Amino acid sequence: MMQHFPVLAIFALFLGAFVSSLIRNKTARNGVVVLSVLTSFGLLCALVKPVMLEGEIISYWLGGWKPVADYAIGIGLEVDALSLFFGLVVGLAVIVSALYSFRYLEYDDAQSKYYTLYLILGGGVLGLVLSGDLFNIYVMVEIMTFAAVALTAYRNFMPGALEAAFKYLVIGSIGSTCILVGTAMLYLQYHTLNLAQLSALISGTAMPSSILAFGLLIVGFACKAFLVPYHPIAADAHGTAPSSISVIISGVLTKTGVYGIIRVCYCVFRAMDQSAVQVFLVLLGTISMFVCVTMALAQHDFKRLLAFHSISQIGYVITAIGLSTTFGLASGLYHAMNHTIFKGLLFLCAGCVLHQTGTTKLDELGGLSKRMPKTCTLFLIGAASISGIPPFNGFASKWLIYQAVYQRASETGNLFYVFVVLVALVTSVLTLASFVKVAQSVFFGQLPEKLKDTQEAPAAMRAPMWIFGGLCILTGLFPAVVVNYFTGPAAAAALNAGSYIDAMMGAGYAGRLSTVPVTVPALQINTLGFYDPITWIVLLLTVLLAFTIVSLMGGRARGARIQGEAIDPKYDTFFGGEAGEYSQVGGADLFWGFKHNLRHYFSFMHGAHSGVVNDYALWGITAVAVTVAYMFLFL
Amino acid sequence: MAILTILFYILIFPGLLFCVAVGLLFAGIDRKLVARMQGRVGPPVTQPLYDFFKLIGKETIIPAAANKKVFLAAPVVGLVSLVTIALFIPIKLFMPFNGMMDVVVILYLLCIPSLCLIVGGAASGSPFAGVGISREMVAIIAYELPLAIILLTAGKLAGLGEVTFSFADIELYQAYFGPNLLHWSMLPAAVAMLLVIPCEVGAHPFDIAEAETEICEGPLCEYSGRPLAVFKLNTALKTFIMPALFTALFLGGMGTGMLWLDVLIFLAECVAVMFVSMTLPHAICARLKVEQVFKFYWTIVTGLAICSFVLVWLGV
Repeated sequence: MMQHFPVLAIFALFLGAFVSSLIRNKTARNGVVVLSVLTSFGLLCALVKPVMLEGEIISYWLGGWKPVADYAIGIGLEVDALSLFFGLVVGLAVIVSALYSFRYLEYDDAQSKYYTLYLILGGGVLGLVLSGDLFNIYVMVEIMTFAAVALTAYRNFMPGALEAAFKYLVIGSIGSTCILVGTAMLYLQYHTLNLAQLSALISGTAMPSSILAFGLLIVGFACKAFLVPYHPIAADAHGTAPSSISVIISGVLTKTGVYGIIRVCYCVFRAMDQSAVQVFLVLLGTISMFVCVTMALAQHDFKRLLAFHSISQIGYVITAIGLSTTFGLASGLYHAMNHTIFKGLLFLCAGCVLHQTGTTKLDELGGLSKRMPKTCTLFLIGAASISGIPPFNGFASKWLIYQAVYQRASETGNLFYVFVVLVALVTSVLTLASFVKVAQSVFFGQLPEKLKDTQEAPAAMRAPMWIFGGLCILTGLFPAVVVNYFTGPAAAAALNAGSYIDAMMGAGYAGRLSTVPVTVPALQINTLGFYDPITWIVLLLTVLLAFTIVSLMGGRARGARIQGEAIDPKYDTFFGGEAGEYSQVGGADLFWGFKHNLRHYFSFMHGAHSGVVNDYALWGITAVAVTVAYMFLFL
Repeated sequence: MAILTILFYILIFPGLLFCVAVGLLFAGIDRKLVARMQGRVGPPVTQPLYDFFKLIGKETIIPAAANKKVFLAAPVVGLVSLVTIALFIPIKLFMPFNGMMDVVVILYLLCIPSLCLIVGGAASGSPFAGVGISREMVAIIAYELPLAIILLTAGKLAGLGEVTFSFADIELYQAYFGPNLLHWSMLPAAVAMLLVIPCEVGAHPFDIAEAETEICEGPLCEYSGRPLAVFKLNTALKTFIMPALFTALFLGGMGTGMLWLDVLIFLAECVAVMFVSMTLPHAICARLKVEQVFKFYWTIVTGLAICSFVLVWLGV
């Protein structure tokens, strides 16, 4: 019974996609959408106990095509803790975003096409993470990429929407091509596409063709995760896609790239004991996190800023994965999960702002905390999470990553890893800085005249956001629970290629080909230091209580509230008669002191990000060449 | 009984009451010393306390453009988080809440009071505050990098071949091997830390965010009455907490075994650190420009910290 759940979870989404397009009635269609996403997520949740907690691995052969003479012919689904972990993250984001869409898209036409594409996108992603077959993964990559491209251009009346979709199509196909060619190379060499069997056959045989395939697969999945140098398209795509889709692109699609990299590096090729691969991934992550956070600081648009932050946070994940330790992997997966939660929340906040005001330009917004206080609260939760303010979840996972990287630095004696810790810390501060900018430009500061009548976002949109908001707090308060029950087993599964092979190909198959299942020790989250959010909260509340009592004993404060216009003459004096856009207060120049000192860097980045898709394609192809050359040189 | 002890730790010593009293005292000492160095008589040492009570008696004005809840909550959250940080800073070997927070967590917790200043200023809706918060943020970016390196250096040294983030380990290391300040390889880091302190507190040569003469105290521009009193208290607390952090990182040691004597020695060391790091620059330097502050921290101070780190890493 249990082994049918994964395929049914994928099937529920695809079935929902086509059934929802047949239904004209809006309420019934929304019902079908909700039913299909909930069914899918429910089936995955039912697998938590056996897979996550008991370490079972579920394998399923589509159509009952079991291996013949030890050769896997049919398409297999294989769900270990790693796949299930990503599946749960995907399922959660798809549910929240679907619930949000119902109200968010009220002014859009062609909604049935939206839901069809949306569910195909979700199904594609889920199919990818649950699949045990390399070619099947490629097919799912194509399905999700094309659904995402179509949804990017869903609001094709918006300036730049079609352009963004076109860029996404071109750059995304570089990644897809790499994955396809890599798959073909492997099939040529080993005559199988099954991940488990490939893993068993590849072990110990570093053929040139498999090195080429390895390089191509890594760069292909890096493209799907929008890592540098594929980052510019993400900004365009997020900027124009509906916010509910940005949640999926940022929170889920990028995770497939991360999943692909983990699966390929840890499981299929088992290349993570090579220091060249470790350094490659850590360097890729470090560059991505720094470049994209500085790009985010320079943005004028709420959603483009969030888009760059997505890649910056994925940089943390890739860095942690590249460490090749169980602890690093577990903390990286923790951050990946947190990223889906807080970035989803922030994109939905941006969606609320867009829905209520009609713009996401930072220079035109301001003072919305008085008009949309509830959205503002949610935004502050999300912003505190992504900037790593204790006790929210972003801090817990970043803290684990710092520990993992610094420990690695100590073990290897390599100063490169210390440099990585510092870049990660600086990136974290710069993230905080850019969210201060968003807070000041959107929710605080002065309310522009034309936004005077802005209303609070409807409760139907805020309710799904609270799912993410609550999770931001919960996963931040209980890091040990998350690590022990979710990311720890997932990390152990990724490292345990032997049992992955055995589960799919029959017990003993891995042993015959010189790989034995390994045991992974339980994880301890306090390796270098201590972080105890619950105690901290208790202390904080005690002090707060004492302070409140003391202030109440002091009697009522005399208070006054100045009424009247928010615009008063002192602002004119301040700006010296200049138009507001030239003042330091606008969204663009909030960090003048910082940008002035790094002006050469920023002007270089400004010139490099030309917005021309030819340039980006050139970067992408160069990255393919560099990666393959690197792999041949060092493996 | 255990609960009463913990409550005593949280509320009296080394928590709320102790922090507030010492913080206000330190602010007073700082003002007195600056005045003497400038040839003035200066206010009495208790002046910050009087100022605090005076502000409490004044009326609180909330501007129409402000978000009332955030505007009023920001100073309180800042104060409360500062007091909790003080609980985790060891006084010699006295660590009531040992084993709950490490130095990296402290690094992040130290962001919260500054962030409260920023959010409170932003919520006031004033353009002066807008400029102020942008400068405060630049200052945070500026000092965070050297501060992080300093903490990593201390963790590397105390790890004895390994690395650690634990504050307790750093104290134990100093108890066995003498204060970190006596390790010559830690000297550049100590100098860097002395330079980080005034920027974190917002003291004079680096008070770009609150520059009274340019931008009317920046984030505090619209504050008055009780919220302002709490923000002033925040600054006073930082005047104590940052030197205390320095003392814990560089001047730790066995102590005498008698808590009251340890506390007195600790406070004396803190006053000395405050004098060197905050009072002297305050008395002799003019305020720097925004871009100068950033450049200074990311070149000279970071350079000093990296020097120390490399020396410690190489084990010399």
